[in-house]
Amino acid sequence: MPSRSGNILVVDDEATSAIVRAVCRRLEDEGWSTRVVSKEEYGSADDMLWAALAEIEESLPDGVILDVRLGEYRDDHFKGLDLLKRIVAERPHLPVLMFTQYSQGVERDTVARSALQVEAPVEFIDKLASPEEVALRIRRLVGAEPKTIAIGSRISLDANAGAVLIRDAAGRQVPVHDVRGRRFQILSELAQAWYRSPGNVVPFDRLERHLEGDDARASLRVRIREIKVAMGRALGQPLGANDFIVSVRDRGYRLLPPRE
Amino acid sequence: MAALTHRRIGGHPWPAFLGFGVAIAGLATMVVSLFFPAAGLFPEPWPVEPLAYIGIAGVVVGLAMAAGTYLAAGESRRHSHGFQRMDDWSRLTEQQFETFQHDLGRPMRRILGKCREVRGVLASTGEDVSIVVHELLNEIEEQAPSFRLMMANMQVMINLETPDAPAECYPVEPTAVVSRIVERYTGQAVEQGKDIVWWSEPEEFGLVYSDAAALEHIIANLVDNALRYGGEYIEISAKRGGERFQIDVTDNGPGIPAHYRNHLFTRGWTPEMGRSQEKTSSGLGLYISRTLAHRYGGELSVTSVVAPESNHNATFTLTLPVGAPDA
Repeated sequence: MPSRSGNILVVDDEATSAIVRAVCRRLEDEGWSTRVVSKEEYGSADDMLWAALAEIEESLPDGVILDVRLGEYRDDHFKGLDLLKRIVAERPHLPVLMFTQYSQGVERDTVARSALQVEAPVEFIDKLASPEEVALRIRRLVGAEPKTIAIGSRISLDANAGAVLIRDAAGRQVPVHDVRGRRFQILSELAQAWYRSPGNVVPFDRLERHLEGDDARASLRVRIREIKVAMGRALGQPLGANDFIVSVRDRGYRLLPPRE
Repeated sequence: MAALTHRRIGGHPWPAFLGFGVAIAGLATMVVSLFFPAAGLFPEPWPVEPLAYIGIAGVVVGLAMAAGTYLAAGESRRHSHGFQRMDDWSRLTEQQFETFQHDLGRPMRRILGKCREVRGVLASTGEDVSIVVHELLNEIEEQAPSFRLMMANMQVMINLETPDAPAECYPVEPTAVVSRIVERYTGQAVEQGKDIVWWSEPEEFGLVYSDAAALEHIIANLVDNALRYGGEYIEISAKRGGERFQIDVTDNGPGIPAHYRNHLFTRGWTPEMGRSQEKTSSGLGLYISRTLAHRYGGELSVTSVVAPESNHNATFTLTLPVGAPDA
C-alpha cells in the first residue's frame, strides 16, 4: 500500500546486487519511486559521478542513496565521497544516505562528516542494514509528511480526506466514521510520530493541544478510548490496553501497529 | 636536513655539554692546585691544596650531569620509538582489519542479499511455503545486526588502543542518534515479539557537543544487550539537564544480580563465565562502551532490580557533557 510518492536516486556500483534490489523493492512498496545510476549503465566511477549529478539536476529527487565505493579500483574506493561533496556544495538541503561497504566504527563517519564543513542532511548506513532500516532512515531523512500513512496492511490515514480507511476482506477501503475531527487529529499526530520514528512516544501536552476543557488529560484519555473502540470495531477485533495506542507511564502515548 | 639536525641536537643535548664543561674546569683546577702548590692560596695545615677538592667535585658533578643527560635522552628516544612502533602497529592493524572486514562483509552481503531475494520472490509470487522457511530466513537475517556490531566493536577496539587517538567533538543531535538505533533494531525486535520505545526530555532536545558515531556505538551495544538478555519491553530515554545529558536504556527483563554487575564492564567477561559455560559473545561491548564514555568525558553505569521483585528491570545510564570535554 503506497503511503506517499517521492523520488529516490540510488547511485551504487553494485546496483544489480540482491542487497540493492531488496532496498529498492522495499522503497517502492512504500510508494517511493526509485531511479538507479549503476556501473552497468555508465561503466566507470567517473561516468557514474557525472551521470548522478546530471540526474539530480534533471529529476530533482527527494533524496539520494549513495555508495561510498563506486568501483573496485583504489581510486574509486571513496569516489562516493567526492560525489557527496559535490552534491552538498550544489544542493546543501538534498538529503543523502551514504551506503558504507561494511560496518564502520567511530572514526569513518566523523572524518567524512567533518570534511563536509556544513550541516548537510547526510547520514551513513551500513550496507548490511535491512531494507526496513533503510526505508525508515529515508523516511526520517527526507522528513516530508506524507498525505497518506499506511499502518500495517489494513489501516491507512488520509490527511486530505481527514479520514481513517480500513481495507476489508474484499480489498475495499472503508472509512471509519467514528474517527473524525479531533479524534482523527489525535490519531494523525500519533501516526506521524510513528512514521518518522517507530517507538517514539508523543508527549501528553502535544496531544492535548487538539482538545479543550479544564481537564485536558482526562479528555485525552476518553478520546483515546473512543478511537480504540472504533478502530477495534472496524478491524473486527477488540483492542486492549497494549494494542494500537499504548500509554507510556507519565509520558504520553505511542502508536503500535497491529501485529500481522 | 631538518630532521637530521634535530636528531644531532637530540643526540647531544646542551646540559651534557654543560656537564662536560664543569668536569673539565674541575680537572683543570685540580691539576693546577696539585702541581703548583707554591701558588697555593691555602698553606698548612691542609694535606692537599684545598682548591683540588673543588676541582674533584667539579669533575664528579660535571660527569654526573653529562651521564644523567645522556641516560634521560636515551630513555626518551626509546620511549618515543616505542610509541612510533605502536602507532605504526595500530595503523597497520587498522588497515589489515579494514581489508579483512571488507572481505568478510562481501560474502555476508551475498548471503543476506540472497535471503532477501528469496523473501522478495515469495512475496511477489504469493507462494504458500512452510512457516519453517520463513523462520529460517528470519534466523539468517537476524545474524546481520550481530555481525555489524561485532565488526564495529573490533574496529573501535583497535582505535581505542591507538596511543593518543583524539576524541573529537562536534554538534550532535542525540535524539537523531536514538532514532537511528531504534530504526536499526525495530525489525529485529518485532521478529522477537519485543518492543522498543523512546522519548526525550525536553522534546526539542537540541544539540550537544559529542561524537555521534561514538554515541551511536555505545547505545547500539546497550540496545543489542537488552534485546539479547533483557525482557520484551525496551525503553530508551534522553534527558538533558545543566552541564550534562543522559541516555537511559531500560529493559523489563529479570534484572542483573549484584555479583554480575561488578563484572559487567570487565574486558572479555560474559555471564557464561560465572557458570563455566561456553561464551556466547565476546564480552567486549560494555567494556568498549564504558571506555568510549570515559574518552568523551562521560560515564556508563548500571542499576537493576532483580526478579522476583515485581518491578524487575535493568537500566544502563550513559552520562556525557553537553559541551566538549576540554571546553
